[in-house]
Amino acid sequence: MGELMRRIRYLLNRRRFDAELENDMEFHREMAARAGRRNFGNTLLLRERAREAWGWTWFDRLSQDLRYAARILARSPGFTAMAVLVLAIGIGVNVSAFSLFNLVALKPLPVRDPDSLVRLERRSPQSYTSEMPYPSFAFYRDHAKTLSAAIAVLGVPPMQIDEDVVPASASFVTPNYFVELATPAAYGRMMDPSRDGTPGAQPGVVLSYAMWQRRFGSDASVIGSTIHLNRKPVTVIGVTPYDFASLGGQGPDLWLPIALQPYLIEGSGVLTDPLNSSVRMWGRLAPGVVAKVAEQELRELTNDLRRQSPKAVWDNEYIQASPGGHMQVMQPEMYRVAAMVAVLTLLILAVACANLGALLLAKAVTRQHEIGIRVAIGAGRGRIFRQLCTESLVLAVLGSLAGLALGCLVLRVALSELNAPKWLSAAPDWRVLLFTMGLTLVAAIFFGLAPALQIARQRQQKTIARQILVAAQVAASCVLMIVAGLLVRASQHALYTDPGFGYEELLSIDPGLGRHGYSPMAAKEYLSQLQTRLSAVGGVKAVSLVKLPPLGHIVSNMSVEVNGRQVEIYPNWIEPGFLKTMSIPLILGRTFYPGERHAVIVSESLARREWPGQDPIGQQYLNGDERDNVVGVAGNARVNAISDDDAVELYWPAQQQDMPDMVVMVRAAGPPDKLPPVAKSISESIDPKLFPEIRQLKLLYRDNVLGVERVAAVVSLIGMVAVLLAGVGIIGLVAFTVSQRTKEIAIRLALGAKRAQVLGTIVRQFSWPVCIGLIAGTGLAGVLSKFLRKALYGVSNLDPLGYGGAIAVLIVVLVVAVLFPARRALRLDVAKSLHCE
Amino acid sequence: MPMTNTPKSGMPPGALPMLILRVLHSSSLHGYAIAQRIHVLSSEVLAVEEGLLYPTLQKMLVKGWVTGEWGTSETGRKVRFYRLTPEGRKQLKAELSGYDRMTQAIQEVLRTA
Repeated sequence: MGELMRRIRYLLNRRRFDAELENDMEFHREMAARAGRRNFGNTLLLRERAREAWGWTWFDRLSQDLRYAARILARSPGFTAMAVLVLAIGIGVNVSAFSLFNLVALKPLPVRDPDSLVRLERRSPQSYTSEMPYPSFAFYRDHAKTLSAAIAVLGVPPMQIDEDVVPASASFVTPNYFVELATPAAYGRMMDPSRDGTPGAQPGVVLSYAMWQRRFGSDASVIGSTIHLNRKPVTVIGVTPYDFASLGGQGPDLWLPIALQPYLIEGSGVLTDPLNSSVRMWGRLAPGVVAKVAEQELRELTNDLRRQSPKAVWDNEYIQASPGGHMQVMQPEMYRVAAMVAVLTLLILAVACANLGALLLAKAVTRQHEIGIRVAIGAGRGRIFRQLCTESLVLAVLGSLAGLALGCLVLRVALSELNAPKWLSAAPDWRVLLFTMGLTLVAAIFFGLAPALQIARQRQQKTIARQILVAAQVAASCVLMIVAGLLVRASQHALYTDPGFGYEELLSIDPGLGRHGYSPMAAKEYLSQLQTRLSAVGGVKAVSLVKLPPLGHIVSNMSVEVNGRQVEIYPNWIEPGFLKTMSIPLILGRTFYPGERHAVIVSESLARREWPGQDPIGQQYLNGDERDNVVGVAGNARVNAISDDDAVELYWPAQQQDMPDMVVMVRAAGPPDKLPPVAKSISESIDPKLFPEIRQLKLLYRDNVLGVERVAAVVSLIGMVAVLLAGVGIIGLVAFTVSQRTKEIAIRLALGAKRAQVLGTIVRQFSWPVCIGLIAGTGLAGVLSKFLRKALYGVSNLDPLGYGGAIAVLIVVLVVAVLFPARRALRLDVAKSLHCE
Repeated sequence: MPMTNTPKSGMPPGALPMLILRVLHSSSLHGYAIAQRIHVLSSEVLAVEEGLLYPTLQKMLVKGWVTGEWGTSETGRKVRFYRLTPEGRKQLKAELSGYDRMTQAIQEVLRTA
């Protein structure tokens, strides 16, 4: 039996061993008394000292402190409930935010060996793309020895099932996808490399569980039946499980073997075109290989690939391997967003802690008496400090438990609202629990340490600490309110202001010519036919072509230094009539001539930055080695950078080789609701192989704004919670001050002071910390909101209305919080309060 | 009122466990007898106080050098006797040799300096 075991035995049988010790010492005393000695000292103290040898003194003290803390907290249930509620909100917000981050970025996918999955992406110092050409993928797959498997996923536009009106989303994957993830089939079978790997195999499709429920009425007999995708017969081979965990959190309705791609999308050369970056690549590291080693080998392979097809590889290109076994493969930009959210939620915790700290300090005054007695009967400062810390820790633990419950509840609601994959569960895992424990400790230190120090040193009369805490609360809630205010302004702005082009009557038609292997010539022919026929339709005002339509699937931008400042330029390739179709005004110069080369139209904001104070027309715009003449200046429009007001746009004339990628824009004379079916039938009559994507910009724009509105609503809610917390805290403090100073106030009033003066002295005590808090908070918000700029839909991050509104709300809440309890001082019955002492 | 707890016996620190181990080597004794035996054997030079004896004994119990067992005292009272365990014997041997080395070294210095 080791020493530790013996110690534990002593802990468990403390009563018995203590009795034995007592017996020993009593006997000793009897014997000593016989021998004539009479002084023994304090028997209890002696015994306690002997017991220290067991090594459990700290435990005894702790349980003493805990019992005492529980008694103290139970004696003022109102305060305790308030404190737990405040902490639960502060911690709950953080727990739900962290849980979400955990689910998205930390929790391993419930698939076979998620740790060895890597996401492989092309990067170079200048460029980055999440997709690569299929031939490159095949090259890496065939040659990489550090990868035991390679998976490709090809996303495609929605496909038409039989004669359904609503198209179904689809992904083409290499048939090893489900084998690598070890996904069992809910019904039928998943893909099998030996059966679904070749173009000649019988075409099969795997349905998602949701699709199977929705479209096929949860009928298991659908397995083996034939459906038509884009009018091609395909056999249903299986259904994914209900809680299927896919790579990258993807959830299409249909999973198709990649070998079927040329069959289903006729004329497509995606699988053979070495320049068309279209598939996302995942790999599984060979046993014992780490990602860095794989990157090394892939770098060499990239160089080999460059020798084979030089155009397919960028300068200095390398393949980046990042952990792929999570719902979301995190990019550096995402970490920035996560950090931003973390700052906001931690601010809430700061408000809660400052709030509670001030309450504890106030409460300390009423405990002066109790602490005084304890010090008088021999408690050391250290002991009292420890006792007070234990109390804070008990409060923090209670608050954390409530916060954990609250956080999980919020997450649960969020998951069902966001329609998240079914394998994600809101139940906290060990990471969330660890995080909560850490947060509990931090919170306890934050709100408990300063009051405990002050009380233990018996200096609680000082109000400065309380005032600092008030200022901190006001500052933190100020930041939250301002961020909320800016986001509300952004969503309003997005809703009610014009992105620079009239989107209400616009329709975009993407025939997907490139995907179907159209040559530039054939594409031009098709597009001119389509344009002519569309123009002839009644109610169509204008038709034109653009490469990157607004709210399209691809956004391209370049970061360029203009006169010493970094500017995001969104280039686009257009046909001469585009500006007119979009109702973008031409401010200077002219639009392109048909077939014009080496010409460029810039947006007004770009012209102003590039050539301030000069006439932009006739200037040269440098683009790599080419020099383009500026022929026109267009009004500012955010065709592609819909939410980024700093961005500027640039238009080049579309050339022959761009034709397969062009999208048709149609402007209707009135609401375009009737046009899509007409456009569909026209397109079908020209080429029935194509399934154009026809979208109303009005609807897309609304969806897009809805997202911002939702974020604004959540942040406003959080901001309001913080403000209310601060308000409640200040009400408590002022009420407390008034009750502390009742006698003084009564004497002043008795001596003839005006009630307004008395009110003034009380309010003054809180006015400067509130002012300092407001100023500090506004400054901090000004700095932090820089990171928000791109999400603000053209609202400045220093938008006076957003700041003004937020500060006004905050001031109203604070004034009410100060005046409401201070009123009591005015209604004071002077005679009564003077008599009572 | 704070109490002084420094033993007045003048015993070098750390010597008590060794002495206890040594007196328990021949027979098991109760606490008072241990104190008495040390007092007598040291020709009444060393006095072992309760305030030091019992914490030391508790420490030795936890370390497993001694165990307690019930017996009857010479006055006919039920009392705990402390007995050396095999580990206690080993510890005694170790402490004795350590002590020997220490005194020899001190002697050396005293003789030659």
